[in-house]
Amino acid sequence: MTDRRRINGPSSGTIVPTFISSTSSSQRPNRTRQPDELRKIFLKTGVTPSAPGSAYLELSPSSTSSAPTLVPTSSNLKITCTVHGPRPLPRSVPFSPQLVLSTNVKFAPFATRKRRGYVRDSTERDLGQHLESALRGVIIGERWSKSGVDVVITILEGEESCWWGDEGGLVGADGRAGSANGSCGLMSVLAGCITVASAALVNAGIDCVGLVSGGVAAMVNNSLSSAEKRALGSASESSSVCVLDPSPPEHDGILRACVVAYIEARDEITEIWLKGEAGSPEETEQLTEKAVVAALASGVVLKAAVSGPTDEETFSEDVDMS
Amino acid sequence: MAATTVTQSLTFPPELFATLSPSPFLLAHLSSSSSTRPNGRTSSTFRKPTVNTNSLSHCNGSAVVRLGNTACVCGIRAEILPSSDVANPSYIPTSLTPESPDTNMADDDADNEDEDIDDGPEMASLNLLVPNIELSTGSSPAHLPGNPPSTLAQSLSQRLLDLLHSTRLIRAKDLRILYQPPLLEDDEEPDAEPTVEVKAYWVLYIDILFISLDGNAFDAAWGSVLAALKNTKLPKAWWDQDLGSILCSDAVAEANELTLRGLPVAATFAVFDTRRGKGMKGKTGSWVLADPDTFEEAQCEESVTVVVDDGGRIRRIEKSGGGVVGKAHLRDLVELSQRRREEWKQVLNI
Repeated sequence: MTDRRRINGPSSGTIVPTFISSTSSSQRPNRTRQPDELRKIFLKTGVTPSAPGSAYLELSPSSTSSAPTLVPTSSNLKITCTVHGPRPLPRSVPFSPQLVLSTNVKFAPFATRKRRGYVRDSTERDLGQHLESALRGVIIGERWSKSGVDVVITILEGEESCWWGDEGGLVGADGRAGSANGSCGLMSVLAGCITVASAALVNAGIDCVGLVSGGVAAMVNNSLSSAEKRALGSASESSSVCVLDPSPPEHDGILRACVVAYIEARDEITEIWLKGEAGSPEETEQLTEKAVVAALASGVVLKAAVSGPTDEETFSEDVDMS
Repeated sequence: MAATTVTQSLTFPPELFATLSPSPFLLAHLSSSSSTRPNGRTSSTFRKPTVNTNSLSHCNGSAVVRLGNTACVCGIRAEILPSSDVANPSYIPTSLTPESPDTNMADDDADNEDEDIDDGPEMASLNLLVPNIELSTGSSPAHLPGNPPSTLAQSLSQRLLDLLHSTRLIRAKDLRILYQPPLLEDDEEPDAEPTVEVKAYWVLYIDILFISLDGNAFDAAWGSVLAALKNTKLPKAWWDQDLGSILCSDAVAEANELTLRGLPVAATFAVFDTRRGKGMKGKTGSWVLADPDTFEEAQCEESVTVVVDDGGRIRRIEKSGGGVVGKAHLRDLVELSQRRREEWKQVLNI
């Protein structure tokens, strides 16, 4: 069914270009960072003057490809967030003693390798749910009864779940979910969403118990070729390594990944999302702790971004700690 | 206690005045001796545009344009429309002759020749340009997500599409993917002109997202489209007879840029008329405000958009909502638009 409120392309649809890999660009990007080193985060508040609160987050590209190519080997996350509210709920909404939080996450049509639609799909709604539970634990809802707040996130550039070379020799620009990495790219996106939403909430002056920041950790296969792995045989499990802030295109196989939303001031986790083959409870715990370390690191950037222009009383103690 | 409330109500800050009675607030500013608008500009001053291009890695071309507090991102993605999928192929040219690759260079003869070819029907009937404006990104409190595109977003998208087609900015030639069948050795007429067929077209999906909206969405959107188109690189594409599909090269050096026809620049004006606003009985006067912001747009009903191109050619005039701007006034606005075009030209580096 065509969307009559938008301008539609050719009725027969269009196909995504199929690229032939030239030898120069057909190499998987390598992780040049240390396992516990995050990508550089740029975070700025107040980018949307027409909204009460807003923030913009960008991750610097993790690896620069040697040859310029039309098929980007990796992408850098770019997220904007606006916060509207607190404002009175419409009359039709029943009484609520707490602040009604609604989150909305949308990818721009050009954000990913595969062009996105205009209407929110299940992935975006899922991300919105995760974000809502992450923020619900940090907002002091009792202070804003009968009010609502909208957190609107637009992802201008997302993160890919796999390297485009994993999709087969002749690769289209459509990034179907890579079998090896699952939807690990979404986890980095969620961590970014949590951090940027937290900054925008502070910018809007909404009372929070602390700053919540997102962090991702993943257990990845060590950079061994499959032949080497076979030689090691059963020792393949031990060749996995835990990395913070993984960039999925850089890794051949991500065994499991974990994203947390962490409030440093209270040492609380408000949201946790684990994916992949679950190991023993100890391994899971270890991975979660690593994700918290990543969240702490992005929390440093968050503090610096919000402590400048806004002088919220709620956050004074957090700022003092830094 | 009561006395303090009274004194407070007598002096209230300008923001409160603007919220309570916006039209008289605007009138008070405009009818003062200096005649500056509440945002500090004079009635004919535009906001200075800033442009940042090609920062998005998944786009063929992209631009971020900021006009004061209005900011938008334009991303262009190209996808392929095979000619075999076109339902009504009568617009696809059939009698193409192979050209040497350097005809699209800035050769005067070739340029003039190209101007004469009317590829408008080809572009329009095949829907090769797909502009869409998204306002509901929380860009302003009036545009929150969760609803279908507002009437403003719909009309802006349609105006962009109309302007793209009527200015014939993009050449159909740049969007064609051609295929020249190899000449067979036992051809009966060896002297016959080799024929070229259009195997496919590039379709440009032009998506404009507003990060922040403070009036004059159309000028910002059009500026971002211009900047993004100017920086769009289409990969080299060819028809592979063996695979039966189109293949592209990922080499940047082989990619083609679009050659645009001219540089039409849009300038929008809003007309503030005392006869229309509330609470201004007995006052007369009208002001034309260049590049209005959200506050001014809400007080003005009449608006004029002038699109001018090189050498003062007027490409489009859109006018609605009233009759204050007449023939003589319109001439001034065209003059202003031409100056505005120089400003954009500088920013776009053309």
